[in-house]
Amino acid sequence: MLHDAKDINSSTTAIATEAAPDNKTRRYDRQLRLWAASGQSALESSRILVISGTATSTSILKNLVLPGIGHFTILDPAKVTPEDAGNNFFLEGSDSIGKFRAEEAVRLLLELNDGVDGNADLKGLDEIIDSERGKEWLSEFSLVIAHNLEQKVTEKLSHWLWQDSTRPPLVVVRSAGFLAEFYIQYHEHAVIESHPETAQSLQIDKPFPALLKYATSLDFENMDVTDHGHVPFVIILVRVLEEWKKAHVGNPPSSYEDKKEFKKEILAMRKKIDAENFEEAESQAYRAWTPSKVPSDIHALFSDPQVTNVTPTSAPFYHLVHALSRFVEEQPSKTLPLTSTLPDMKSSTDAYIQLQNMYKQRAEEEKEILKGYLKVPVDADMVDAFVKNSHALKLLRGKRYGQAEENKVAFAENLQTSPKAYAIHLALSALSSFASKQQQGAPLTPTEEVLTSEAQALLPPGADLPHEFADAVGEAIRTPTADLPNVAALLGGLVAQEVIKVITKQYIPINGYCVVDMIDMSTAVLG
Amino acid sequence: MATAELTTTQKPDWAGRYFHIDQVLNSGGPRTDPQFAAGDEVKKFLRETSKILVIGAGGLGCEILANLALTGFKDIHVIDMDTIDISNLNRQFLFRPKDVGHSKANVAAEFIMKRVPGVKVTPYFGKIQDKGEDYYMQFHLVICGLDSVEARRWINATLVNMVDESNPDSLKPMIDGGTEGFKGQARVIIPTVTSCYECSLDMLNKPTAFPICTIANTPRLPEHCIEWASVLEWPKVFADKKLDTDDPEHIGWLYKVAAARAAEFKIEGVTWSLTQGVVKNIIPAIASTNAIIAAACCNEAFKIATSSAAYLNNYFMLIGTESVYSYTFEHEKRADCPVCGGEAVDINLKSDTTVEQLIDILIEKQDIQIKKPSLSTSTKQIYFQAPPQLEQATRPNLEKKVSELVPDGGDITVTATTLPFNLSIRITYSS
Ligand SMILES: [Zn+2]
Repeated sequence: MLHDAKDINSSTTAIATEAAPDNKTRRYDRQLRLWAASGQSALESSRILVISGTATSTSILKNLVLPGIGHFTILDPAKVTPEDAGNNFFLEGSDSIGKFRAEEAVRLLLELNDGVDGNADLKGLDEIIDSERGKEWLSEFSLVIAHNLEQKVTEKLSHWLWQDSTRPPLVVVRSAGFLAEFYIQYHEHAVIESHPETAQSLQIDKPFPALLKYATSLDFENMDVTDHGHVPFVIILVRVLEEWKKAHVGNPPSSYEDKKEFKKEILAMRKKIDAENFEEAESQAYRAWTPSKVPSDIHALFSDPQVTNVTPTSAPFYHLVHALSRFVEEQPSKTLPLTSTLPDMKSSTDAYIQLQNMYKQRAEEEKEILKGYLKVPVDADMVDAFVKNSHALKLLRGKRYGQAEENKVAFAENLQTSPKAYAIHLALSALSSFASKQQQGAPLTPTEEVLTSEAQALLPPGADLPHEFADAVGEAIRTPTADLPNVAALLGGLVAQEVIKVITKQYIPINGYCVVDMIDMSTAVLG
Repeated sequence: MATAELTTTQKPDWAGRYFHIDQVLNSGGPRTDPQFAAGDEVKKFLRETSKILVIGAGGLGCEILANLALTGFKDIHVIDMDTIDISNLNRQFLFRPKDVGHSKANVAAEFIMKRVPGVKVTPYFGKIQDKGEDYYMQFHLVICGLDSVEARRWINATLVNMVDESNPDSLKPMIDGGTEGFKGQARVIIPTVTSCYECSLDMLNKPTAFPICTIANTPRLPEHCIEWASVLEWPKVFADKKLDTDDPEHIGWLYKVAAARAAEFKIEGVTWSLTQGVVKNIIPAIASTNAIIAAACCNEAFKIATSSAAYLNNYFMLIGTESVYSYTFEHEKRADCPVCGGEAVDINLKSDTTVEQLIDILIEKQDIQIKKPSLSTSTKQIYFQAPPQLEQATRPNLEKKVSELVPDGGDITVTATTLPFNLSIRITYSS
């Protein structure tokens, strides 16, 4: 026991303190640092359907069960074959042979996390997709994943899910030997918390009134040397910029010479040659002449029809973007709401906290102004997150699975511009077309001729196949039905990662195909 | 606990067991070396002869062991010095709540042998530095799933030093993986042939360090208050007790002290989770990223062991935060790499640079990464950090100019406990 800590304990009773985290928080600690409680709660509310209990399917599920999705179902009528028992970690070797694959996999996956609910469904997808009850059942999932499913059923499933934008997104995964790809079908996916690498602008070029007033009222000349060496760079820059503009008919420094001169003026203010705050102001001087603008992709969102035509039933995201567009249009700064987060800077505690409070207060005011433009009430946490991320919002619009390939001319063009990745996609597509024409359960033995002709059928007549296609199709022939453990594991990670991004609405998922080549170990995103 | 003896009863493979893998082993593809010994020969090597070492049984290690076992490696060794913590369970899928406190290597080995019949996993619960060259010599391949730079440098230097040109068996390919959040990398190191781990040290991010004067006098961030509690207050209050960042009671104390300081300075944001994150230097970790990187590593091990396809040349980097971005490239060997390069590292000093300043320069150098260097030349001791008598005897040299002790173009040998080799630097002077 730490008895020595007593005085600290008694002296801190007035401060709100949290207790040590509970077991669940401790278990999820390393992931909560990535997607926080909001992301975790989205995961815990999700219901995932995985069609077929292959090695790839269970690898994907493993990486979703561990972080704690709410529920999963494996839909699979098959019994475990000796082949399955050899490559799937969520089967118990030869002991599982002859048992239902979905039941075995669900049992072993559930051992990974007590907080997750799982279910084995032994029906076939054919049966489900053809019945009204089955369709209703499908639409209750948050997301559907299908691995190496027969092509015609996949198309039926993807078409039905696409018909109504409220139906779950679909991830279609295909693999053969060292080659693989997956596609996420969604209508649109809006991300507020994209976790950008770049911070919001401090808007030093457009200081808010309180900041400007403070910076211009400071009596630098008569300030005590220590205080002088503790003025945060933000204030120094606002001050120097204001003086510069007065001397230059209201313009900020623009030429190289101007900028050099501007930096000189900063350093000339020093009272001590080694004043770190002035050195920092010099190195951050670009902030004074870099205009705080609305990023072009955010600006583009403002004229999106879903934004300009918001109705009371529109999603909150569109209402928020609409309010943001009015904010930018009508507020004098003509830019995004102010950030409430300051980076660390050379300064005394008091000067820093004072500046931080000025930013916080102004950010709060601007948030209220933005709220005033909202036509419907929006959850407060969502408004907070939206304002904090308004420079990094993302709206993705997807396509139906297979829609891109319907334009054969575009496909052929893409094959010429990015031959390697498109050749893999083409070879896997040719293999699927070929397989769908074979007797179910018969050994799959494609030849180069037959796969090449399947590939040609997906392209305009007479289209050239790049030499990369020979490399890809050669692998498809070599390993037409191989679900390799390492490829399954890699797909398990990649697909789960994208599913987590879609479910949590944090970070940015792919839009299109992700193609994987595990021979030269490369990936590419198409679309 | 599992022991190697438990599993000597090898079950025969059932028909169809390797149906998937055998599609790759029965014949080559367009990008397979024509020398590939397809069929029984390669299967026999993989399943009966090959011996592979996995370093680390944590986030990557658990995944690596499962993948290797399923692909047909049957003689696997694993080293890990850690025990299982509850915060491992969100990704280290061979462990259950009942295993908390037990050895990662032992529990992982036992689990794999139970789940994948006929695979022998030999665990070692201890440090890699406990083992010598004769131990590492027995393996065909080494895969590392480590979170420590120091351990990676050690095994890298060990494997590079083991290479004996007259003995091809002394060349042990090393496959190294690492992850952080949604990002990761996997690489293949063929010691002395490709770039080695040491060659790429400058790619590491520099850890954030807060100046002591900020922590002591002008805290601004919650992190500054936490550092104050752990770096300054803990040693003052508990002079004889070492801070154990795994002890919740210790973290609780730091949290309270940091929160009190934050309140005093009106700083917001000190939480339990941040306190723990700062003092333990916690790196976010998730199952999916570990799965991707471990799969990439094991796939390289499989390709190298079987020659069934060309292997990665030599670096794969993944960033999963925005779409799926990856970059595959050849990392170049550094001619002046202190481990595999053979050339001395050149350091240019002013003629009045002191020994103490040189030490600071060395500590700052991103491509060397050294904490407490000791310096000597072939004829004299310049400065030694330990033992105390030697430190005391060489301390007066700290204030001397390097140029008084080492001629222009002269070599200095740098050693440190964190450095698994002797670093040779060549000093030149500019006026
Ligand atoms: Zn090297």
